[in-house]
Formats: sequence, structure tokens, C-alpha cells
Amino acid sequence: MSVSKFTINFLRRNSVLSAGASGSNVFCDRGFGSAQPILKKIPEKKPDWNKAVAEAEKIVGYTTSFMSLRWLLSDEVANVAMHMRKLVGSNHPLLKAAKGLVFNGKNNMQAWGLIVLLISKALGYTSSVKASDEDKVAGFLHTQRALAEVTEMIRTSHLIHKGLMNMQNNSTEDISGDMIFGNKIALLSGDYLLSNSCMELANLQNQELVELMSSAVRDLSESEFLGPRDLQNNPLPSPPRSQSSLYRFNFAEDPLDPVKIGDALGNAEAEWTLRNILESGSLLGKSCQGALKLAGHSAKIQKQAYRFGRHLALSWQACLDCQPFSPGATGSFSLVSAPVLYTLQDNHDLYREIEIGSKNVNEVDFERLRQNVLAGPGVQMTKNLQQEHSDIAFEFLEKLPDSEARTALINIMTALI
Amino acid sequence: MACAGPIRLYTRLCRLNNSGQITKKISSCASSTFSIENSSYIFSKKNFKSSSSANIVNRTCPFSNIPDFALISKNFGTMGPQQTGSKPNDDIHPYKLLEDDLKNVYVYIREVLRKNTYQDDLYEIATYYFDGHGKAIRPMVAILMARAINYHIYKEHNILPSQREVGMISEMIHTASLIHDDVIDQSDFRRGKPSVNVMWNQKKVTMAGDFILAVASMLIARLKNNDVTLVLSKVVSDLVQGEFMQLGSKETENERFAHYLTKTYRKTASLIANSLKSVTILAGGDEELCDLSYQYGKNMGLAFQLIDDLLDFVSSSAAMGKPTAADLKLGLATAPVLFACEQFPELNPMIMRRFQESGDVEKAFELVHKSEGLEQTQFLAKQHCQEAARLARLLSESPYQKGLIVTTDLFLNRIK
Repeated sequence: MSVSKFTINFLRRNSVLSAGASGSNVFCDRGFGSAQPILKKIPEKKPDWNKAVAEAEKIVGYTTSFMSLRWLLSDEVANVAMHMRKLVGSNHPLLKAAKGLVFNGKNNMQAWGLIVLLISKALGYTSSVKASDEDKVAGFLHTQRALAEVTEMIRTSHLIHKGLMNMQNNSTEDISGDMIFGNKIALLSGDYLLSNSCMELANLQNQELVELMSSAVRDLSESEFLGPRDLQNNPLPSPPRSQSSLYRFNFAEDPLDPVKIGDALGNAEAEWTLRNILESGSLLGKSCQGALKLAGHSAKIQKQAYRFGRHLALSWQACLDCQPFSPGATGSFSLVSAPVLYTLQDNHDLYREIEIGSKNVNEVDFERLRQNVLAGPGVQMTKNLQQEHSDIAFEFLEKLPDSEARTALINIMTALI
Repeated sequence: MACAGPIRLYTRLCRLNNSGQITKKISSCASSTFSIENSSYIFSKKNFKSSSSANIVNRTCPFSNIPDFALISKNFGTMGPQQTGSKPNDDIHPYKLLEDDLKNVYVYIREVLRKNTYQDDLYEIATYYFDGHGKAIRPMVAILMARAINYHIYKEHNILPSQREVGMISEMIHTASLIHDDVIDQSDFRRGKPSVNVMWNQKKVTMAGDFILAVASMLIARLKNNDVTLVLSKVVSDLVQGEFMQLGSKETENERFAHYLTKTYRKTASLIANSLKSVTILAGGDEELCDLSYQYGKNMGLAFQLIDDLLDFVSSSAAMGKPTAADLKLGLATAPVLFACEQFPELNPMIMRRFQESGDVEKAFELVHKSEGLEQTQFLAKQHCQEAARLARLLSESPYQKGLIVTTDLFLNRIK
């Protein structure tokens, strides 16, 4: 189907829907859970990732991948871009971060805004909210779109702040002006995105949402403090504990409370879960929850959407963690990825290999570590872990009535498996 | 603009400050030059009168040498207190007045941060500057205004818990921005101790700043007031934009002073002005009252920063708790330099190259002391304080309202 045909069909269907008394409310509290379970987990043919995302973007009518780039078109940032050019040629990590933002793919989380919009569309809005004509055509609220942008901005801001260089540690070396300048730019650009998300959120005039999303920013900032770190603050696994495999991570009851660390560090699965809830699950979960809050859905459904987002993010991360261990993969990988943590738990002696990188993770022999991981149970366990989390996310989708948005979400998720 | 640039006006103003005629002329001319954020600047106000007690510092330092920090500091200290109010309010001291209100500010902030993380090193970095040694200027002014406004509207001496929270929030936002400033400026020393930048790695410090801002935002949301959230979000946005303005400036000589004032508004005055506006919104004040408290805060914020920029030239490192002439070293041209530049045009190229060539900082420092830049800066600060005091006098008389007036003197006469 061509793009235009697709869009026209889609718009037509939606305007018909919105002509009805309840707007495009395809989903209300009463109906939740009563929708027929029509979903079988894996469609016959596994959808391609890029295709799944491209199709999904048509459904929401928005190229979400470039959402955060829209903010780069303002005066302040134009100024920054000019400064940033000075950094080309230096090896400031900010450049890597910037590259990661522009080159879209499975490897980054650019599709998060898209997920927020799809979930918004899949559930519709209740009659308690006022929807403009444009909202009715789009099938989701403009406030939800603003929230999707906020999600992207918060995420991007965090990635940029992570791209700072730590400098006083190598004070014996001459710190180049480029590095200092790069840090300035990284810090300010991240702050800029953060302050913009503050403004956007304030404009939505929903204080519960402001609190929820602020707590997601808090969680992200906490993520950079967990466990041992090298001099550039890259994470290293905590020393594996003996008899740890039975410990399960405790998900917090109230997402507004900070995440408890408990005995998670040193317990492969719990540590991985803790890290990734802070780093990604919290933001995606809270964004999904917030989107439904804006649409006037009940607290119960909001909570389920939070869970959906959280586990989708975890499933996603598990999938990314497996990639460096696919056939023919080379190069470095995260030392706190699930396959490595599982392997360490299985073989405590391997921690010696990790300790080599305690000052600088790049000193770890990644090829040797990869061979060790591949020889152990880590990759398979990670795949199980991914399945576990995607099952939880699917559980939510199964209860939704059939819609294009839901199909798009299912396609994106199956493309991951 | 047809008339001379603003700096030249100030220079003339300082020299001819007994001539009401010139003042008037300037006032009409300057009103368009100094418009910040669409609100009329203090010089357009009808009560703009140049003080007859000309506040020219009796300088005794040798002109040709770089003066000793301590000596200058002493001279400034013995200049005699400046009064912006019409009558002295000797019996009122804001910090004493608010002793009960202020004693737990830092304790409360530390508690809130503690409740929001189980990670000890994050908590440690985030609370590093909440050690109780800060001046707590922002909470002080916010609480003072809250109480003065409450009395003005309801004739009651109470304060709402939400208003008290705004005071804490303003200190948290301020500290979050301080922490990020430390990373940006690579500063080593602040408030008499090593800066966070020295103590921990930049990434963690940056994240700790984000953390404080996030927790502050959560507190703001819990006030459940849409307008207050909007007003305080604007502050965050102003802070970042002010920082961007500081990063690089390509403006011409004429634009430079306006650029400096806008930057000062965004980096310092916006937070104070909008916190005060917030406590007034929470009190249920009408638009006029909200604007009054906002304008009071804006004038105080500008005066505060002007004095800060002045002290960077005259105070001793020991008194400030951070190195002096720090702004020059960072390449920043603040009010004293911009004023001095009128008298010594050789400062122009140095400003343009951000004092990067060797000897620039020392030379600029010396020229500023040779010029009338410091007096002019103080004079400008005084104008703002007088305007703030005038606004405070429009409120019903109460100890807190008097406190607001006394605070204008405190801001003007502070030595650290």
C-alpha cells in the first residue's frame, strides 16, 4: 500500500470514529480486559525492524526519530552547533553521543516517542478530556504528542550528559581546551533539553504528570551512580555474590518512590534489572503512564501501562545486550550487559578479567571475555530474560481491542525477538 | 539609537548626578535601551532620581599599581552604610526576623534529597552545598515577601507551607545551577571549600545537578498550582539561556551592556523575581501584586549580581570564599569592565578576545580600578535597590514589609 493511500484510508477511518458520540475512545475502563484475546504472540512472518518502525510512524503521522532534532533548530542551539564544529577532529565523547542521536537504528532508543504515541492511539481518550479537531483526526491528543517529545528530550539530555569527559583524573596529562569546551557544550546542551522539557511539561498543566516525569529524570540521574565505575564513570559489574541466583528484584510499589537497591548488586539478574529500570524502564514506563493520564484513563490502567512500558524497555535492552554476542560480532560491549552478568554469576573467577578494567574499561580483553560468555549460559539466559519481559508487555497488548496502533506495537516488539 | 550609548550615559550621570534635568533626559532615553523581558526597566519609572548623597568611593589606592585586595576591601567596607530607605529601620534585621523560618531550610532540603535516593554518593554530592553555610538569600527574600504579602492581603502574620516550600525550591534550583556552573567554569573553590568539581568526577557532578533539579521539580508539582509551575519552569529555562549568553558574545559595543543586563536577569534575577511572584500567586494576590513582587525581585536580583560583580574586583578571596577577579579569568566582561571601557577604550580589544592574552587580566583589573567603573556599578545597583525599596513601600506596613526595605540595604552594602 502506498503511503498516501495508507494515510487517507487511515484518516477516513478515524474521522468516522470521531464522528461518534464518544470520540475516538476505543477503550474505556469498563471495557478493559473484556476485549477478546485475539493475539497470538508471533505472527507467521517476523517483521523487519525498520519496516515495523516506518509503518508505525505512518500511523502516528510523525517522524518521531527526529523529534529531539526539532529542538536543535532554535537560536541557542544554532550557536552551539557552531561551537560544536570546533570539536570535530578532537575525540570528545560528545561527538559520539551526537552521532548516536542522528544515526537512527535499532541501537538507540529513538523509537520511544513513537511507543508513547502508539500506546496513546491504541487506547484512545476518554470523554472527560476535550479533544480538538486535529486530535480527533490524529487519534491521540496534542498533549500526548508534547509528552512524547518530552520523553525524547529527557532521554537525549541524559545521553548527552553521559557524554561528558571526566578530566581531573588524568591531571598529569595536559587537558586540551577542546575537552573543556566539549564538556561545556555537552552540559549546556543537555541542560537546554532538560529546561525545555520542564517548560513543555508545565504547559500541559497537569501537576501529577509533572511529578511523574520529574521522578523519571531523577531515576535517570541515579543510574549513573550504581556499582563500581572506571575513571570515565563507565559501569563495571559488582563482584558476584555466592548463592545469589534466587534473589529476585523487587519492583517498587509506587513509581514516585526512588528505586530500592536492596541486595541487587552482585546478583546477576537483579543487578541488571535495577540498572536498566533506572536507565530506561522508568522513563518509558512513566511516559506510557503519563500518556494515559493525559487521556483521562483510570489509575488502574495507567499502572498497567507503566508496567507495559517498563517491561518493553527491559525486553528491548535484553535484545540489545545480546547483539555483541551474535555470530561474527566484534568490538567492545557493555560490561554490565545481561550476558556478561550471567556469565560472571556462573563463573566467579571470570571477575578477574573485569577487574583489569577497573581504571579503564577499555583495558579489558573483550575478545577473550566474549569467548567466555559464548561458552557459558549467559546468552541463552539473556534470551529467556527478554522473553520473560516481552511476555509481560504482550500481556497488556493482548487486552487491547484490535487497532492499527496495537498491530504496530506488536510488530515492533516481535521484530525485537 | 540617536543618543549616546547607555554606558556613556551612566558615566555622565555619575559626574553630573545633581542635575535633575539631565537625569530626566536620560530617563526617557534609557527606557528603551534597557528593556528586559518586555517589562519596563527601572529607569523609565517616574521616581528615578539621582541620589544627592553621591556615592563615589573615596579611593585611596595607588592608581598605577594593582591594588591590594584587602586594602580595597577595607575601603569599601568603611564607605559607610548606604541607605535606600527614607528612614532607617535599625530595629529590623531580616535574618533575625526570619530566624525560625530559616533555621531549617537546609535540614529540610537534605531530608527531601535523602528521601529521593538510596545511593549514598549521590546524596553526598547533592547535599555538598546544602551544608548550612550558604547565605540562603533566596529563601530569605521569598519568605519575607510571602509574609509581607500575606499581611498586606489578609492582615495576618502567617505563612503558607507552600510558600515556605517555594523558598526551599528556589535554593535548590540555585544550587543545581551552581553545581553545573562549577563543571562549566572548571572552578576549584566555592563558599570557602573545594568545589564539587574538584571532589568528584564531572559526570557524577552533572548527574547530581540533574538530580537536584528533578527533585525540585517534583516539589513544584506537589504545590498543585499550574501558574506556579509555569513561572518556576521559566526560571530553569532562563538559567540555561543565561548560561548560553555567557558562552559567547559577538555583540557590538552598544549592544554589550544590554546583553550583559539580559544575561544578568536570566542568570540571577529571574530566579528571585519569579520565586517572589510564586509566593504571591500562592497567597492569592492579584495581577498587580504579583507584578509588584516580581519587579521587587527583579530589581533586587539585578542589584545583587551587580554587587557580586563589583565584589569580584574589590573583595578579598577570604571574604568571598572563592577566588576574586574570577570573572576576568573566565573571560567575562561584567559591569565594572564595561563601564571602565568608556574611559579606557583600550579595554575593548581585551573584551573581544576574552582577556586571553597574557597580562590581559592584570591590565584590565588595573584599568577598572583606575576608572570610575566600580562607583558606576555601585550606583546602578543602588538605583535598583531604591526602586525595590519604593515598591516594598507600596505594601501595607508590617515588620516583614520593613524587612523587605532593609534587605535592599543589605544587598547594597554586603561585603561578601
